[in-house]
Amino acid sequence: MIGASLSRWSMAYFAAALIALFAAEIMMTAGFGFPGATVAAPETLILVHVVAIGWLSLLMCGALLQFVPVLVVQPLYSDTLALPALVLLVSGLAALVLGFLQLGGYIGTSFPFLAAASVLLGCGFALIIWNLGRTLAAAPKLPLPAQFVTVGLVCVAATVTLGIIFALVLGGTVNATSLLVLTGIGRPIHATAGLGGWLTFTAMGVSYRLLAMFMLAPDLERPTTRAALLIGTIALAVAIAGGVIAALTHGNPAIALLAAFIGGVLALALYGADVRHLYRARKRKNIELNSRMTAFAFASLAASVVLIAVLLGLGQLEEHIGAVVFLVAFGWLSGLGLAQLYKIVAFLTWLECYGPILGKAPTPRVQDLVVEPRAVKWFRLYLLAVWAGEIVLLAGLPLLFRVATAAMFVATIGIAGEILRTRRLHNVAAASRLPAGAQLPRLLISSHA
Amino acid sequence: MFIQTEAMPDPTMLRFLPGREVLEEGTRGFRDEREAAASPLAEKLFAIEGVSKVEFARDSITVTRSGGDWQHLKPAILGVVMEHFMTGAPVLRNEAASSVHASAPPADADGELGHVKESLRQVIDPELGYNIVDLGLVYDIAAEEGGVIRITMTTTTPGCPATNYLKTGAGEAAGALPGVEFVDVQLTYEPRWTPELMSPEAKAYFGIDDGGGW
Repeated sequence: MIGASLSRWSMAYFAAALIALFAAEIMMTAGFGFPGATVAAPETLILVHVVAIGWLSLLMCGALLQFVPVLVVQPLYSDTLALPALVLLVSGLAALVLGFLQLGGYIGTSFPFLAAASVLLGCGFALIIWNLGRTLAAAPKLPLPAQFVTVGLVCVAATVTLGIIFALVLGGTVNATSLLVLTGIGRPIHATAGLGGWLTFTAMGVSYRLLAMFMLAPDLERPTTRAALLIGTIALAVAIAGGVIAALTHGNPAIALLAAFIGGVLALALYGADVRHLYRARKRKNIELNSRMTAFAFASLAASVVLIAVLLGLGQLEEHIGAVVFLVAFGWLSGLGLAQLYKIVAFLTWLECYGPILGKAPTPRVQDLVVEPRAVKWFRLYLLAVWAGEIVLLAGLPLLFRVATAAMFVATIGIAGEILRTRRLHNVAAASRLPAGAQLPRLLISSHA
Repeated sequence: MFIQTEAMPDPTMLRFLPGREVLEEGTRGFRDEREAAASPLAEKLFAIEGVSKVEFARDSITVTRSGGDWQHLKPAILGVVMEHFMTGAPVLRNEAASSVHASAPPADADGELGHVKESLRQVIDPELGYNIVDLGLVYDIAAEEGGVIRITMTTTTPGCPATNYLKTGAGEAAGALPGVEFVDVQLTYEPRWTPELMSPEAKAYFGIDDGGGW
């Protein structure tokens, strides 16, 4: 193994993820779910899970299938498992949405959609965890970024387990008292494990490596990196294990979550110092659009932490939890995800199209597959719309929030259009687009190296 | 020293390019051992069984064989040519022709390896968009007898999905050169690459003004 191969199904994961993002933005613009409905309403649950599973998790899975092998310099355990996992996750999400619609009285049938969703999503995520876990386990030594991903995979297992319990309880499949109690008060644990452990912690690990690669910065193995990993892992363990134990023993999970938040802030502060160091130590002075836009995602992450702290101080966290989740999901995770997706698609498309003819014919650069000056306006619109949406959400102006999410939708369409142009090589000069031997990549399926 | 070989339309002839000046001007042919007495190099070539004719040009030696096959003759001829030029012996004994120096400096500083290096410049690191030679990813190029080129190279980061493409691309680029029969590309991560290894031009391109060390 000298280099990772192209992940065959990552493009299909990315396409499915973008469709889910469009769906979520349309829902918000149409006033479906929060803030028009409460955070616990079935409509909001649909919105939240389309974002968390459909958009962010599929995006993360697609990226990990490609980049975990890079992190550990090992081949992916199985390229074959990626497709059934995608099918299971998408059908599981569809069943989950139907189950929530059933809970909201939109569907009259008694089919156990939530139980079906539990099985489908449980199997889908299990395949992902198995595939990535075996890939990680094959490495003789796990570099720090891979250790973050490992913790992230443990957290997604916890998140899915809690989700299955909630779905089975809400669907009436199980009614054990302890699980009813856990479902009643365990939602913040589920959200922390998902948004904090699975999505944020994994993104932290991958970003250490991707930022270093894309900006020509040194790989970090600093004491701050190790401390961020250790403290972050402890904080997540306290939040998830401590929170569940507290809920099952009639305690208050909020205490565990508060303790975890303090640890989480410290871990994020250390991560912030590392990221700052990466940007400052980079050798590539003129960084590309993805790295520039990622900086704004980091700003959103920092703003999210400050916002939680301020709201906790004011005793208004519960009241504004929707606004917090919105900033974490769309400012931090989606901001990072869209920026890196813009680069990753160009990079993987280049490898697939021009890699096989390298040395045989002149090839364009990855940079020739994109037109940054055209794409940057969509990223700016997206970021401004998210921050405007956050402000009006906190100000309690739901109509203006819908205007902001409409702007987000337009920006996302613009970004997706740029990504599609990249994938179809529309930005490459006609003379050098397809030299002899090069083939236009398929849209959703990548050819192997 | 790297000696390229070039196939000729006539399969009984093979051209050797030592990367050094052979004759200052014109050409000089030797049809038998008697004529070869005017040149220490031609003399040694005629000592190889199967060589029937030798012709010198400005930068090449063309050998015609009367028997045997190139598979066996080529290594012997390469050995003679290499040894001759390495010792700095004159190509011709004639005083009038002594302005032809066997040890004359090569057309370019790197000799034929320079051609390999130049060819590798068409292989770009996709992410950085710059050629692998000026990025400092090519650690070593060595030429061996029989048109064998050995390249030792690295990538900017281990496990990079472009690794296999870069390795194959380097082999393709070097292998396309005339006279190159076989290219062996080895990857190494010892030492690990740093931007410090870039050429001054590449550093300027990326805006690196502090030497490039981590």
